[in-house]
Amino acid sequence: MSLLIQSIVLGLLLGGLYALLAAGLTLYFGVMRVVMIAHSAFLILAAYLAWFFSTETGLDPLLSLLVTVPLFFLIGVGMQRLLISRLRPATMTMMSVLLTFAIALTIEGLLGYVFTGTQRRVRLSYGGGDFEVFGANIAVVKLIAFGLAAVSLLVLYLVLTRTRFGQALRATIQHPEAARLVGINTDRIAGYGFGIGLATAAVGGTALSLDSTIYPSLHWHWIGPLMAIIVVGGLGSIPGAAIAAMVLGLGQSLLQIPLGTTWAQTFFYLALFATLMVRPQGFFGGRLAQRF
Amino acid sequence: MKVTTRLRISTLALAGSLAMTGCISSGGNEGGSDDTITIGISLPLTGDFSEPGKGVERGYEAWAQYVNDNGGLLGKQVELKILDDQSNADRVASDYEKLINQDGVDLVFGPFSTRLVVPAAQVAQDYGFLFVEPAGAAPEVFEQGFDNLFYAAPAVADDHYDHLADYIEAMPADQRPKTAAYATMDDPFAQGTAYGLKDRLEEMGVRTVADEVYPPNTTDFSSIAAKVADTNADIMVGGTQYQDAVNLIIALQQLNYQPKMAAFSTAPTNPEFPEAIGAKTEGILSPTGYTPDADWPSNVEFVEFYTELHGNPPGEDEANAWTTGQVVAAAVEAAECADPSEECQQELIDWLHGNQVDTVVGPLSWDEAGRPQSAHMIQQYVDGKIRIVLPEEQAEAEIIPVKPAW
Amino acid sequence: MPSDSEVRRGSVLITTLKIVGVLVLAAAVLSFPSVAGNAFILSVGVVIMSYAVLATSWNFVGGFTGYMSLGHAAYSGLGAYGTGLIVIHTDINPWVALGLSGLLVAVLAVPVGIASLRVRGASFVIVSIAMVLILLLVFQSWGEVTGGSNGLRVPRPFGPEVLRPEQHERFFYLHAALLATALLVWWLIDRSRFGIGLKAVREDEDKAQALGVPTFNYKLVAFVVSAFFTALGGGLYALWFGFLDPIFQFSILVGSYMVLMSLLGGIRSLFGPLLGAVIVGYALEFFKAEYGDTQFHLVALGLLLAIVVLFMPDGIIPALTQLARRFAPQASSIREMTAADLAERRRDADADADGSSEENNGTEHHVTEGARS
Repeated sequence: MSLLIQSIVLGLLLGGLYALLAAGLTLYFGVMRVVMIAHSAFLILAAYLAWFFSTETGLDPLLSLLVTVPLFFLIGVGMQRLLISRLRPATMTMMSVLLTFAIALTIEGLLGYVFTGTQRRVRLSYGGGDFEVFGANIAVVKLIAFGLAAVSLLVLYLVLTRTRFGQALRATIQHPEAARLVGINTDRIAGYGFGIGLATAAVGGTALSLDSTIYPSLHWHWIGPLMAIIVVGGLGSIPGAAIAAMVLGLGQSLLQIPLGTTWAQTFFYLALFATLMVRPQGFFGGRLAQRF
Repeated sequence: MKVTTRLRISTLALAGSLAMTGCISSGGNEGGSDDTITIGISLPLTGDFSEPGKGVERGYEAWAQYVNDNGGLLGKQVELKILDDQSNADRVASDYEKLINQDGVDLVFGPFSTRLVVPAAQVAQDYGFLFVEPAGAAPEVFEQGFDNLFYAAPAVADDHYDHLADYIEAMPADQRPKTAAYATMDDPFAQGTAYGLKDRLEEMGVRTVADEVYPPNTTDFSSIAAKVADTNADIMVGGTQYQDAVNLIIALQQLNYQPKMAAFSTAPTNPEFPEAIGAKTEGILSPTGYTPDADWPSNVEFVEFYTELHGNPPGEDEANAWTTGQVVAAAVEAAECADPSEECQQELIDWLHGNQVDTVVGPLSWDEAGRPQSAHMIQQYVDGKIRIVLPEEQAEAEIIPVKPAW
Repeated sequence: MPSDSEVRRGSVLITTLKIVGVLVLAAAVLSFPSVAGNAFILSVGVVIMSYAVLATSWNFVGGFTGYMSLGHAAYSGLGAYGTGLIVIHTDINPWVALGLSGLLVAVLAVPVGIASLRVRGASFVIVSIAMVLILLLVFQSWGEVTGGSNGLRVPRPFGPEVLRPEQHERFFYLHAALLATALLVWWLIDRSRFGIGLKAVREDEDKAQALGVPTFNYKLVAFVVSAFFTALGGGLYALWFGFLDPIFQFSILVGSYMVLMSLLGGIRSLFGPLLGAVIVGYALEFFKAEYGDTQFHLVALGLLLAIVVLFMPDGIIPALTQLARRFAPQASSIREMTAADLAERRRDADADADGSSEENNGTEHHVTEGARS
């Protein structure tokens, strides 16, 4: 029984991080029809920056957010304006996959070049700390990571629903032509959308660095589940991505009890195939998926 | 027009490819000159196995320098030719292909990691080369029918815990652990160590209550730890490399699981280990094939030479590499030859099958499949330092039978 | 644009040149083993040939339909493991096992194709990557059958009396034969009505569908053919290399090599993937030799792919062709056309009933090319 509760707690904590990262990934798709393979490479890059910051200065890795979030936002805007927008619109989706794949490889190679392939882990005084709730042990670092993800998602939600920029962004996602007609500068909005997406990678990476080992090729481990999540949630749908992330994260955690780690990982991909067979547009409203 | 240009380009490509052949082959036969012995090695210097790969490289280079400082091998200078296989099996085979055919090396040494040893040994076997390897301890390596392969360490993976198993067996029945939990990386070496102990423990009636296998790329150990912690097993055995052990232990600590005994392969012998898990190391057990404190005659020299070179004593990877060098050197000196010819290589192979070599990890001899016939020692963190506790005749400290809380 | 009579006049000459060119290419490939200085160079040749087979096989779906699969390593890996497992567990002749494994993978590709081709673009790529990742997990975990992370040793098809250099030579020719078959099939499809339908899908799937092209079935057939040849390529490599490890068989990097090679050479050209394979295969050797013990080879690969995608998405062969045209005064390049010419061409193209009226230069050019061939 306690194992069940423990697994549910762990699944929810993991799902929170998945939700934040998947939200970013689906945002790129929404604004630009781009499957951003390099999302998880930036995630690992942020984790490395957090690790580097913390080992060099001895300060808490969370403080690195002050630098990485704005930095990643700018990189995101720059990437959209300078690279993605150069691609031919007709082959945008396919070519953007290859382009972002190339960026992911480059980041992985540079990380290996600069920091070597050695596995790194931030050392925290509270790293092994835990407290007990309802018979389940909750690690302090995992709760911090979850909190970070939850706050960022909330901010993202508020920005999208309560601000003029958010409205413009959603309009761009829903119907770019119409958005242009009512006077929205969709190019600029798309750039900002990209920046925000990448900023989620910065937050996620810092959260990840608290409680995980990092190494340059780790991003492959993340991109698969994240892509499965955004398809299940419906491409381009941020609430869909968040809900799918929680459900799949929880499912993976629970399936580990009977199946073991390796087989439990296949859950994401089975969910992906099942979604495409049953409901190709995803479960949460992604009207875009069918077409793109 | 269109077609002809296409043709022209194809022809160009063709000419290009032929020119490239020239480029690859330039570089030619550097080895084989009379006053040096060239030894070809492929190591994972980048990619997933790069960390231990670099350790092995340091060991090889230190060995070569030591040999050259002391008159060389058969009176000739030793020159190492080290290629990077990027931790990739296709590359490692291609590297040995290159070393043997193109660089004309006289001898080859093995790469790191079981995953790379098998394809590499195949190439060496096909060209009749002696293949002594510093890391490829998994039992499967020795079941492939290679007759040119020798593992330069005291024991294969499933025998690593033999002394610990003997110790537990010797305990009074009521003090023995009743239940055991295993968590192993899906890697032939790491798994081999844990399952070797598992077989022995099950024989003496210790119940297996958890047996978790995780892929090598796993970074989140919370669920595995949850399952292990839920069983509250008396003994926790980790078939681990390095970082996974750190993550697993921290995850177990987060769940406040306190086993009576905890054994992990590889990781605890790493000097960074205590810091990585927050100094809560007391009582953690680990098998090791090597200790710098061992008083084998050659080991004293090795530790002194290496420490002078690098400022710190050698680890297990460095020692295994050095041992590889010692083993091959012993065969070369006995056979009085070191050239790529089939006769010479066969002589080296035959000699090693029939003889014992004194190395920094003690005297080594091999069975017909290249399995070394010694045993690993068991180390434990006692008073914050890692000490040898088993077997008793080599022990540096008294074993702590019940692990304090971490 | 050359008139019909011009095309006819030139066609005899062109055909002759074509045949001569192919013969020269074939002769060059066949003479490689005797030119190669040692067994290592020969083995590099085998690897490059294997890349060429895989890239050409990939191009059945990538080139014809424009669907970029990043996960074709799934099919080469399955073909490799299929061949290995059949050889190990049955007495079937290894070459029959290879063919059988190719067919099995082709059958398996049908449901995967149905699932992933129903949705366009993004989901297709995601599924292709997911296929590799899921197979990696399955082949690692299912150790009793696949050997798991211990790897799987595949017995040699030739006896021990065939020495290693001799093995390399034989496998070089075998790969060359497979490559020739794949190229021939590609060429035949390229000329067929089926091929024109596929290319219509590539240029504008909606219009193609509206014009009555059974787009889904066409895509599916191309996909299955591609998986079949990829599996044969993987299986042949397995018989040569003799050792399979899931990490390297089901690797996204291998799949991305196929894409890079095809794209670099030119996915619309018959010999594009072959050219790309030679260049990338050589570049990989070169980067490794020059920047061996750093991760720089990944950076180089990434930058190369980015450059190709950004600056020459049509590949080297079309880029060079265009360059050559610009310097050849008698040839008319599409870039020199006036808007009026373009409009007329567009009407012609529509009359040809094979698809598109995109304003895009590249697209226009290739549709006409398809119609002409």
